[in-house]
Parts: sequence; C-alpha cells; structure tokens
Amino acid sequence: MNRREVVRLAQPRLRRFLPGVLLGLVSALCAVGLLATAAWLITRAAEQPPILYLSAAMVGVRAFALGRAAFRYLERLTGHDAAFATLPELRVGVYERLVPVAPDGLGGSRRGDLLSRLVADVDEQQNVPLRVVQPLVVSGLTALAVVVVVSVLLPAAGLILGIGLVLAAVLGTALNSRVSGRAERELAGLRGAYQAELADYLGSLDVLVAYGADAEARGRLAEAHHALTRASVRRSLGSALTTALVTLISGGVTLGILAVGIPQLQPGGAGGGAGGFDGPVLALVALVPMAVFEVFAMVPLAWGAWRQVAASADRIAAVVPDVVPAEIPVDGPGAVRPAPARGEAVRLRVRDLSARWPGASGDSPALAPVSFDLGPGDRVLVRGASGAGKTTLAHALVRFLEHGGRYELNGADVREYPADAVRSVVGLCEQRPYLFDDDIRQNLLFAKDTADDAELEAVLDRVGLGEWMRERGGLSARVGERGSLVSGGQAQRIALARALLAGFPVLVLDEPTANVDPDRADALLADLLSAAAGEDRAVLLISHTPVPDELVTSTVTLVAAH
Amino acid sequence: MRPVDPRLLRYAAAARSFFLIGGGVALLQTAATVAFAYLVTQLIVRAIAGEQLPALAGPLAALGGVVVLRFVLAWASEASALRGAAVVKSQLRTRVLDAITRLGPGWLAARNSTAVGVTTGPGLDALDTYFARYLPQLVLTAVAMPIVVVVIWWQDWISGLTVALTLPLIPVFMILIGWATQSVQQKQWEKLTRLSTAFLDVVGGLSTLTVYGRQHRQAGRIRQVTEEYRGETMRVLRISFLSGFALELAASLSVALVAVSIGVRLIDGSLGLGVGLFVLLLAPEAFLPIRNVGAQFHAAADGIAAAEEVFAIIGAGAGAGAGASAGADVGLGGGVASAGVSDAQGARGGRSGRGGLRIADLTVRYGDTVALDGFSAEVPAGAVTALSGPSGSGKTSLVNALLGFVPHDGRILLGDGDGDGDGGGRAVTDGAGRAWLAWAGQQPKLISGPVAGNVTLGDTAPDAVLARAALDLVGGSDISLETVVDPSGGGLSGGQAQRVSNARAVYRARRLDCPVIVFDEPTSALDAVAEERFTAGLHELADEGRAVLVVSHRRAVIDAADREITLEPAHSGLHVDVDVDVVVDGAVT
Repeated sequence: MNRREVVRLAQPRLRRFLPGVLLGLVSALCAVGLLATAAWLITRAAEQPPILYLSAAMVGVRAFALGRAAFRYLERLTGHDAAFATLPELRVGVYERLVPVAPDGLGGSRRGDLLSRLVADVDEQQNVPLRVVQPLVVSGLTALAVVVVVSVLLPAAGLILGIGLVLAAVLGTALNSRVSGRAERELAGLRGAYQAELADYLGSLDVLVAYGADAEARGRLAEAHHALTRASVRRSLGSALTTALVTLISGGVTLGILAVGIPQLQPGGAGGGAGGFDGPVLALVALVPMAVFEVFAMVPLAWGAWRQVAASADRIAAVVPDVVPAEIPVDGPGAVRPAPARGEAVRLRVRDLSARWPGASGDSPALAPVSFDLGPGDRVLVRGASGAGKTTLAHALVRFLEHGGRYELNGADVREYPADAVRSVVGLCEQRPYLFDDDIRQNLLFAKDTADDAELEAVLDRVGLGEWMRERGGLSARVGERGSLVSGGQAQRIALARALLAGFPVLVLDEPTANVDPDRADALLADLLSAAAGEDRAVLLISHTPVPDELVTSTVTLVAAH
Repeated sequence: MRPVDPRLLRYAAAARSFFLIGGGVALLQTAATVAFAYLVTQLIVRAIAGEQLPALAGPLAALGGVVVLRFVLAWASEASALRGAAVVKSQLRTRVLDAITRLGPGWLAARNSTAVGVTTGPGLDALDTYFARYLPQLVLTAVAMPIVVVVIWWQDWISGLTVALTLPLIPVFMILIGWATQSVQQKQWEKLTRLSTAFLDVVGGLSTLTVYGRQHRQAGRIRQVTEEYRGETMRVLRISFLSGFALELAASLSVALVAVSIGVRLIDGSLGLGVGLFVLLLAPEAFLPIRNVGAQFHAAADGIAAAEEVFAIIGAGAGAGAGASAGADVGLGGGVASAGVSDAQGARGGRSGRGGLRIADLTVRYGDTVALDGFSAEVPAGAVTALSGPSGSGKTSLVNALLGFVPHDGRILLGDGDGDGDGGGRAVTDGAGRAWLAWAGQQPKLISGPVAGNVTLGDTAPDAVLARAALDLVGGSDISLETVVDPSGGGLSGGQAQRVSNARAVYRARRLDCPVIVFDEPTSALDAVAEERFTAGLHELADEGRAVLVVSHRRAVIDAADREITLEPAHSGLHVDVDVDVVVDGAVT
C-alpha cells in the first residue's frame, strides 16, 4: 500500500463529509459575523440614530452568538460521525490486505508490538477528515468569504487581509514543517535510542545492581535523555516562532487596515448615509481580521495533524507490502488438490528443505537444507542453536513461508494443495500462542466450533489444565487481555488443547518452553509430548531444552546456514 | 482532575520556577492585550471625530510597537512553556528512575518491566500537553481574567457585571457535563473497552487465526464490531461535546449581551463610543484563556492519568529510600540489619574469612504470601552445594534475599561458625555491598556490546586473560570475547548467552575474590554435554576455596554436587516452625 491509498480509505465520501463542512463553515462565519456586527452596531449607535435602525443588528448579534456555539456543536458531532463511518471500511480494507501475507510477509520488523502499533495507526487515520481536511476547508472558505466582503467595502483593506492570510498560511504550514519536520525526524531516532537504553536498563537492573554497574548505565541513560531533550526543545522553539509570527501578522493587518482606512473615511453624518465608507464600516473592516485570524489558527494545527496522520499512513503502508514477497506462499493455479480426508493418514516427506524470511538480513535466521520423514506415531525432535532456523522450519511446514527443496504431503508436492488445505492437516503451536481477550471457552472453540463443553473440559484435562480451569471458575473465566492472566506454561497448554481439538494429524510444537521457568520446562515438555502423542498423529517438537530420549522417536539437528 | 496537581509541584521542582516565569509573561501579555484594544479604539474614535492620519501618527506608531511586543511575548510564552515542559519531564524521568533503582530489582521483578518502561518513557510524554499547553493557559487565565474584568468594570460597570456573572457559569457547566459524560462512559465502560480492543485482538491473533483457517471470516466481524463501537462512542460524544458547547455559548452570548447593552446606551447618549468599543474588544479577551483551558482540559487530564503510575513509583521509592547508599537497599528485614555491625572489610572476604555461608531462619514474604519460611542451611566453602525443590518452593526468593533484592527476616552469615544460632561468622548486611557475592541469574540478561564487556561487567579495569579463563571454565571456549551481542541476546545462541552469563559470575568471583558464588538454573539452555563441562567447572571454583551454591532441578547437576539441599513449598500465611531444610550429604563424586 502507499500513503495515498491509506488516506483515501480514511476520507469519507463527499455526501457524508459535506454536512460537517457546511455546519463548520456556518459556525465560523457566525464567529466573524458576531464581531463584525457588534463593531458596526456600536459605532453606528454612537451616531445616535433611531433605535429602529439598529434592531436588525441587535437581533443579528444575538443570533450569531447562538449560532456560533450551536453550529459548532453540530459540526463536531456530524464530523465525528462521518469519520467513524469510514472506520469499518478502513479497518477491513487494511485487514484484507494483511491476510494474504500474514504473518510472515508483513513488512518492517518482526517485533511483537508491530501489530498493536498498526492498529493504533489505522485508528489514527480517523483524523484525516476530522483534524486535517475539515478544518482546512472550513478556515479556507471562511477566510475567502471575509476577504471578498472586506474587498467590497474597502479594496485596499481586502488586499492587506488577503496578503496577511496567505503569509500566515505559508508560515504556519510550509515553514513550520521545514523547521519542525526536520527536527522531528531527528527526534524519532533519539527517542528510539533512549527507549532502547531505558528498556535495556530496566530489563537488566538486577544484573547491573548485582555487578555494581548501575551507576555507569544510568550515565549512558542520562546522556541519551539529554540529547533527546535538547532536540525536542529545539523543535519546540521552531514551532513557537511560527505561532508567534502569525500573531505578528494578525496585528500588522489591523494596523495596515487602519492606516489605509482612516484617510478614506467619509464623514457619515447623523442621518447615516448608506453606501459610503463611514465610521461603522471602518470599525468593521479594522476589527474583523481579529476574528478571521482566530478561525485561521486551525490551519497550523491541521498541518501538524497532517504530519502525524501522514507518518501513520506511511507506517501502515510499510507494513502492508504492495507485492507479496517471493518468500511468502501464494496459491498457484495448480493448487487444487483437496485436503486429505479426516481420518486419512498424513505423511510428510521433506528433502533438502530450505527457507528464509522475506527481506532477510543478518538477524533473520535462514534454514539450511534439512531432510526428514514424518508419519503417524512419529515424534521427531528438532534441535539446533538459536539462529539455526528452527522457527523458520516450523513456518515453512505450515506454509507461512515458501521453501526450496522438496516438501511432499502424501506423495504430492505440497504446492498442489491450497495453503489453507495444508494447514488443515499440519497444525502449529506457536512459540507465543495468542490468547484472545475472551473466556477460556472462546479461546478453544474457534479451533472446533462444534465442540460442546464436555469435550472442551476433556481436552483441558488431557493437557493438564482441568484443575486450573475449575479453580478459575470454569470455561467462562476470562484469560485477560493478550492472556495476561495466564502463565507462559498455561498458554502453551491452551495452545495444545486447541490443536488437539482441531485434530491435526501432523502437529508442530515450536519452542513450547521458551517463556517458561526453567524448573517447569522439563515437566511441561514431557506433559505436552505425552498429551500430543498418538498412534495416528505425528509430532514435530522444536526445542532448545534437552528432551529425554524415550519421549521422542528420532532427532534432527539443524546447523546454521551462515 | 484537580486544576493543578499538587504532586507535580512536589515532584518537579522546575515546575515552580516555570510557574513564575509563565506568570510574569502572562502579566505582560495581558497588559499588551489591553493596550492593543485601547489603541485600536482610540484610532477609530479619533478618526471618526475627524482627525487626519498625520495627527494619528503617534497612536499608530504605538500600536505598531504593541504589535511587535505581542509577537515577542507570544514567542516568549510559547518558548518558556515548551522548554519548561521538557525540563519538568526530564526531572520526573530522573526521579522515577532514581525511585526504581532505589526500590531495586526485587520490586521490579514483581512487575512487567516492559510496562514500567512504557510508563517512564512514552507514558510521560503524555504530560507534554499538560505542561506546554494546559498549565500556561491556566496561569494566563488566573492573571488575565481578573485584570480584564477589572478594566471592563472600571470603564463600564454594567458590562463588567455581565462578564463577571457569565464567567463562573463556564466551570460550573463544565463540571456538570463532565459528571454526565463520566456516568455515561462508566455505564458502557466494559462494552467500550471490549469494542475498542476487538480489532487489535483480531489483528494481533492473525497468525493463530491463520493456523486454524479462520482468517477469512474476520472481515465481517470487524465491520460489525466497528459499527457497534461507532454507535456507542457517538452516544458518549453527544454528551461530552456539550461542555464545549456550553463554553462557547457562554462566551459568545455574553459578548453579544455586552454589545447590545452598549449599543442601547450609546443611542441614548449615556455612554461614549470610546468606552463602548474598548469594552467590546476586551470582553472576548476575558473568555479566551478559559476557553483554551477547556479545550486542553481532556488532553491534560489524560496526561495526568498517564503520569499516575509514575507518581506511584516515585511515592513508593520515597518510602523505601531511607538508606539508599548501597544501591538497591530493600533489606528491611529487622533480623539482618540488627544481627551485627556491618563489616565491609570482612564481608569482602579474603582468604582469612573463608568459612562458607550460613543461612539462619530466613523468611521472605511478598505481601501475605510466604515464599520462604524460616529456612536454615549451610553452604560450606570448598564444596558445591546444590539447591533443589519444586517450582514455587522459594529457590529464587532465597537467591534474591542473598542479593538483598527482597526484604527478609533472618540471618545471612559469612565466615566460620560452629554450632547453630549466633556462633561465629559475620552478618552480611546490605550496607557492606555485595562484594562477597558473585551471581548468575536464570536469564542471561546480556548488555549490548562485546562479550568481553559482559564478562567483565562492573569492572573498571577489565582483565582480558581472566575473562578468557572464566569463559573457558564454564565450557565457553568456542565463544569469542569480541562477538557483539544485542540486548535480546542476538549474535549468540541461547546456550552461548547462558554460558556468557555464567562466565560473568566466575570472572567477578575471581576478580573480587568473592567467597560465595551462586548460580540460578545455570544449565537450563545447555545440552547434556555442555552441562557436564559446566559442572566440572563448579568443582574448580570450589577447589579455590569458595562456597558454591547452584540452584537447579536438573538431575545431572544435583548428582554432580557435593551436597544437596531440598526446599519444600512454604505454607502461605502460616509460620510453621518445622525444619523445612533437609540437608543431605550427597556423597556423589
């Protein structure tokens, strides 16, 4: 995706968007009208005409005051509603672009927070209509309308006001983004550096304290923070200057209009000759710019919002690739073979299988060619140092990653099956199983939606969680946001329970003990293996924790590719 | 939220001076605003009275001066606010890090360190709006509002009264509407939270959904949940936007009332144009700062809410900070502190003081939970002692107590001693530092940089030969000292990282001649061969005269030790005075 595509998804259709803009315009014009009418009213009243002459203006002043607040309220409601209305399309649009490449083809880093940031970025796009387009359109149209009216009353004043507004717009947008934009890019780097230092410090505090190295680490941290603070103050000074310059221009416009307006003044007389440039009109053209510039203050804000929205859109675009990378499997026209029927034996034959992550650099492990067979009843242990490509192998087996070499499923090349069909028989328990923010039941049911509670309880008993589930209050107990109420070992057991429910004939367990206390790891591995083992199931266990020989039928050792 | 959070003044001293500067600038700004309104009025009134441009050159020049002055003041106010915000923020960051360091690793271990990192990092950025926008406007409100009202009153008391009566309505309405919003939000809190996290849940679990072939069905669900979310949110917004409506209505309606009343009195001649126009220009200025406060109020409240956690940490740190001399001093246990005079020299070890480690009646509590209950044991010098026990029996709590990371009761004694109780030996207090102890934890926790820097961590004059020897001792001959690691352990395999961490403890033990060395599950990532090489190294350390304590559940490690201590789970809440420590002289090897 690119920025334009993302922003277009976020911008509501004109029919939905227009009411908000119109209401905003009316509200802004009311604000200007309030001051203009009041100034005219007072100056004209000083000429002491019959009160009848001024009753319209008096009603107008009150109406403008009410209108300004009421229309502004309606504008905000309508605008938010329109922005929200695009959110479903935006979210679904981004989601549907994620699905074909997920999980391994998503651009950027493979860090866990990538997706939560993506979600925040998608929701940030609501600000495109709300804080960028609508304020720009409203303030632009208001400014234009006032310039036209002032030009009719006094052309020179209209010219001054127009020049002032253009100048303020340029200063508030282009100059500001030149000054702040550059500093912001620098800031992003410094902020990241500080955040990394901070995470390092907090993560290793026990080691640092135990080794008396905490003071030195604090020194490094303070340095990073100092650089960050200095840069952010510099950025702030730049943006403060542009804000102040707009104030200067606003005052200058009032001064200029007075200077050109006063010599043009024609004595009005008590009768109030209409049409001439008299006192009340002078007051109007001299004071109206103040109200216009107040409305116009939305422009720099909108510009700042635009920079944020654009950065978010760029991040979304970077995550969702335009072209599916070569390393991500795409179902070809020949991928038509139906998945093996339920109960049919499934055999995998892997010869010189190699794989790598998209955009692989030094830190992404590549898998060196590996060969093995996997059939019902087999329990194969895959060992290897970190970096040898253990997880890469797991992802290639479930067709998250494309592979080199041969990978056959029941004698046919795995590419002859749709990827979903392969995954219906080759299951994966991930290193960090995802638990949905729901109850235990829902976290199991999506693996087999026809299962009843008795079946769910039976499978939990089998993975050693029956007692735990009953203690927690049954299947309706929640697992907490992202499984926050569940330990690493319990998460692995839930993941296995899901896989057992789905009844995968081939099951890949990827480092089940990676997030488990060492003194529980050995017992967990033994429990998982014995629960997963079965005459008609093949298990491939990937582990860096040593596994007793009697639990596995064979062992494959991976060697790092580089 | 209170208008000004007193904790910010307490915790961020810079906030005070920042208040003063802000107040000074606000005063000047108000004066400039009044002068601007006065000069514009004078120019218009005198022009209408028939004065020509040359006669008005004075006021025009003055107006120009005021315009420039306003520019300078606007810049000064923005700049000082932004700079102040940055200074306050870094002050708070320093204080919270001080507090965390003072509270120590034991405190941090009970929390999610990533979450604490977010709180102290980006979490505090949320205060920017509070300091850079909200607070300066609040100061300006406090300064400008009374001055402007007084000036208006002095010029025309009827207008003054109108403004003075309308102004208090604004906070009253805002509070009332704030309550209403809150009650609507609270009623739907759970629903709103669920709806707002539902999309995140689908995207976050995308890979799991794909494994189960459920990824294609989610689009409809996302659409439906988002529509529901929109409906619920709009219901809240309809109420919460009312506060903005009330604010604008009060401000503009009072200006309108002032204008109409002035107009009527101008017609009957009871008021002059000069006064009328001046008051008209000043009336909106009385409302402007409080309108800005209202506009920033929610963002500022969010900032304070985000900083809540930071205040809690600083508060807790202040409570624990009685004697923060030796780093993480959380040893609140009366037993240890009173057991003996701190003797840094003795605790530092040296061959003379060799006699091993004695633990007497050690109890560790986390709140109501007793993690370790009256535990006593001996870890003699010159031997390898294995500590085993089921998960939750308090092995790690014991190690944390030795490190001084958790509060504890009981005694930790170093040196010779015969009999039980108060025999010989020196009490190890936190005040003596940890120079007597070398330790390798469960997780390798390497620092970014070369392996050499990790092995010699904390040593200001690293000894490369000693570092190499330490690595070799723990079976890390294949690891180069030059290899660069990143914090997540990248660059090394899990087993290599663990060996580097073990070597770090060995290096320290030898460099500082620590009498005690403790390893916590040192072989969890090692295979059988590497494990055997490591246990051989343990005996070498014991032969150097050190007390070696290795916490492990691995049979191979326990069998290779000279002695085994088994821990049983403590009975939470009960202090049962039973011998929980079974000291078995394992005669293996």
